[in-house]
Amino acid sequence: MAIAEVPRFVRADGPDKVTGSGRYAADISLTGQLVAKFRYAGVSHARITRLDISAAAAMPGVFAVITADDVPDVMYSPVVPDRRLFANDVVRFEGELVAAVAAIDAATAQAAVDAIVVEFEALPIVDDLEAAMADGSPLVHEDWESYAVTGDTVQRPNVASFSSIEKGDVEAAMATADHVVTSRYVADACHALPIEPRAVVAQWEGEKVTIWTSSQVPFDARNGVCETLQMPASRVRVVVPHLGGGFGGKCGFHFEAHVAALARATRRPVKLVFSRQEEMVAPDRRREGMVVDITSGVKADGTLVARTGWIAIDNGAYTADAAFFPQLAAMHVAGPYAMAAVKIESSLVYTNHQPSGSVRAPTAPQACWALESHTDELAAVVGMDPVEFRRHNIVDEGVEGAAGQVYGEIGLRRCLDAAVEASAYGDDLPDNEAVGVAVSWWPSFPGPSGAYIKIDSDGSGMIITGAQECGTGSVMTLRMLAAKELGMEPEDFQLVYQDTSAAPYDTGATGSQTLLNNGRAVIEGAREVAAQLRNVAADHLEAAPDDIVLVAGQAHVSGSPDRSVPIAELAAIAAEGEMLIGKGSGTPPQYPTVSAMCVGDQGLAGWAGPQFACHAVHVRLDRETGVVRVLDVSAAHDSGTIVNPIGAHGQVEGGITMGIGQALTEGTQYGEDAKQRNTGLLEYKLQTAADAPTIRTQFIEIPDPNAGPYGAKGLAEAPNVPTAAAIANGVAKLVGAPVRQLPMTAERVWTTSMEVDR
Amino acid sequence: MTPSYELDVNGVTYPVTADQGRNLLSVIRDDVGLTGTKEGCDDCECGACMVLLDGQPVNSCSYLAVQAQGRTITTIEGVMQGPEMHALQRNLLEAGGVQCGFCTPGMIMSAKALLERDEHPDLDAVRIGLSGNLCRCTGYAKIVAAVEATAVELNT
Repeated sequence: MAIAEVPRFVRADGPDKVTGSGRYAADISLTGQLVAKFRYAGVSHARITRLDISAAAAMPGVFAVITADDVPDVMYSPVVPDRRLFANDVVRFEGELVAAVAAIDAATAQAAVDAIVVEFEALPIVDDLEAAMADGSPLVHEDWESYAVTGDTVQRPNVASFSSIEKGDVEAAMATADHVVTSRYVADACHALPIEPRAVVAQWEGEKVTIWTSSQVPFDARNGVCETLQMPASRVRVVVPHLGGGFGGKCGFHFEAHVAALARATRRPVKLVFSRQEEMVAPDRRREGMVVDITSGVKADGTLVARTGWIAIDNGAYTADAAFFPQLAAMHVAGPYAMAAVKIESSLVYTNHQPSGSVRAPTAPQACWALESHTDELAAVVGMDPVEFRRHNIVDEGVEGAAGQVYGEIGLRRCLDAAVEASAYGDDLPDNEAVGVAVSWWPSFPGPSGAYIKIDSDGSGMIITGAQECGTGSVMTLRMLAAKELGMEPEDFQLVYQDTSAAPYDTGATGSQTLLNNGRAVIEGAREVAAQLRNVAADHLEAAPDDIVLVAGQAHVSGSPDRSVPIAELAAIAAEGEMLIGKGSGTPPQYPTVSAMCVGDQGLAGWAGPQFACHAVHVRLDRETGVVRVLDVSAAHDSGTIVNPIGAHGQVEGGITMGIGQALTEGTQYGEDAKQRNTGLLEYKLQTAADAPTIRTQFIEIPDPNAGPYGAKGLAEAPNVPTAAAIANGVAKLVGAPVRQLPMTAERVWTTSMEVDR
Repeated sequence: MTPSYELDVNGVTYPVTADQGRNLLSVIRDDVGLTGTKEGCDDCECGACMVLLDGQPVNSCSYLAVQAQGRTITTIEGVMQGPEMHALQRNLLEAGGVQCGFCTPGMIMSAKALLERDEHPDLDAVRIGLSGNLCRCTGYAKIVAAVEATAVELNT
């Protein structure tokens, strides 16, 4: 029941993007504008003993140098407010801000940054997850117990958030197993890495500030400015020009307040543009490193009976939005499998690394990689084919999952069958090639969202939405929804978006939620306009409003297509009196309740609109070097109804390619000083067009009644989840053992194969 | 002393006064005033800054502006053919090869250079021809398809 009768879909923002006329944040320049540069800590853990900005402030062309003394002393971050705009005593990672400069040009600003004198007293570095959790470890935050933590969040020394999922008597259940397998997997941190480094421009007019920023979440950015600079929302407007990708890296509140504070201090517009290196070091958003221990008990017939798990997640120095990561990681170590008893404990551990934050399906690719590698180990121990083992144990309609949620009609089994069938799994392959299979899941995120719809006197439609276009096309898809309600074409609608002063609230380009939530808002708003149109048409055609049908740009009387009037003509009539203006927000889908006991509950043990996937990946191994090449990916996804097929395929292809990078090459390397060693694209390698495999995608379309428009669930994050896991299972077949570190670099693959040979 | 010289960008001659150390990317964006060419890494690795110099693709972040004197510089703003999009631009849109769009200008410049030196590129030639341009959104499949479709279209 896909609503896309439109065979091809050209994005409304597409012409801007292919002609170079589209403006991104770094493309905006204002008269009198100054350049912002930051002074970073440059060390991972230290107390500031001296900070002297006098020489920098006195330099010609320097308009302001600001520090913690120049902004309100506010601790911010959702759930665990543990950081300030500028360090005021202790610095906890290399990219922490100590001061900010606004100067006449970039060279002067950099010279001023270099002239700032900072002296430190070194503090012990905390960079090992297990050591950080041990009694007596140095603390990253000495005052952690005084932080104004919200919700049911549970904290411990050096643990920002702890969660557990417990169901049944796990010891008793484990005792009934014929085999018990224990595995450890360790994943490195990696980066979201949008190709656009972020930029922020701020300009004050009187007591109001306008901020242009490359944010995925303009309302979060606005609220962060309001909180940290102590201003009402009515005085802060955040506008996002075209956004050059995000992948979670531009979620949250980052540097908007710093630039606004510089602009206020100088009474001039101020512009910040990050270098690639800054983009990789300073934001509190990177994919978290993780240590996963899993123990599972299975019967000889392959039935999974119990699981225990222990997860340590590298939070880095500050908590950003990561308080929910432990619970989400625990769900992914439980996985989409039925089991009677489970106990998984999961901790978000402070270290002196860059802070972690929501990058495309946070915690899931690493946790899925660990779990699905472990699952192939389980299949091997009972002598079952890995695909058969999954068929025997996965959740399905009416089956209770590990946390106690009972599922409705879901497509996981069909995804598994479809992806495997379309792959070379089971075929006779050369001895350096294999197909690995992994299954995965991911929640949809219901939330509040709003939109306005209007039709102008010339009959052209306008959608004014709080939603943010990250590149996925989800905002572009909103035009299809409005057009369908109003009997118009998608091309009849313009979009006003990414402006906090124009539109109602939306969560932003985060959690794959735009279609799910803002789609609902747009449909509701369009229905209000449709009702208004029917009233105008009823007067005009001398019929009852309920008998008016809106189709193909016309309003006509039901059963009498010849009694019709163009919508544009009705719009002209309406413009003289009661105008065509609608609004929508609607009621978000409900989160289901679960039976498991959850310590440190963050509300994510029961999932609305759960998405399911299976990837079957055909890999080739160069045994001499350990280099793995991905030849072919067969993907099957249940994301509910697919509304915009071309956009949906683009999400899967992009997510898989990002997943290949994470599987094979993308990992942050740290020195003993806890500083990143590979902060440029020469040392941190993404997949290129020459590397990209053939990708074949199938959608298992099962409309979900507790999800988005037409039963659509989210999609942008799910394709990123099982790719690394499937690659790992292919590699393990060729090497003879799993590679227990992510990314599975050539060196690690080769080393594992040498250990097997010994 | 800051040198003054002329640059030929998209068929227009621009007088430029810029320090000798300035790269072509910054002069195109800040002095010439064409912002379609993007900066993604300043490392010659991402290709977002790709322009054509006498038809050859060059990472403008790592090329001195003064060296471009006397050469023909083409940026994304010079790809349109009057009011009409180039087939590459149209095919990228129709294939769904554009998501965030930040890599798109550089990708189009590399593809244009490829099709000008090889009218019948096979799949590998297209993939290698685009391998200097990083895209994080699309996984490349729809971009490669758009370039292949353009090659067919331009040859018929």
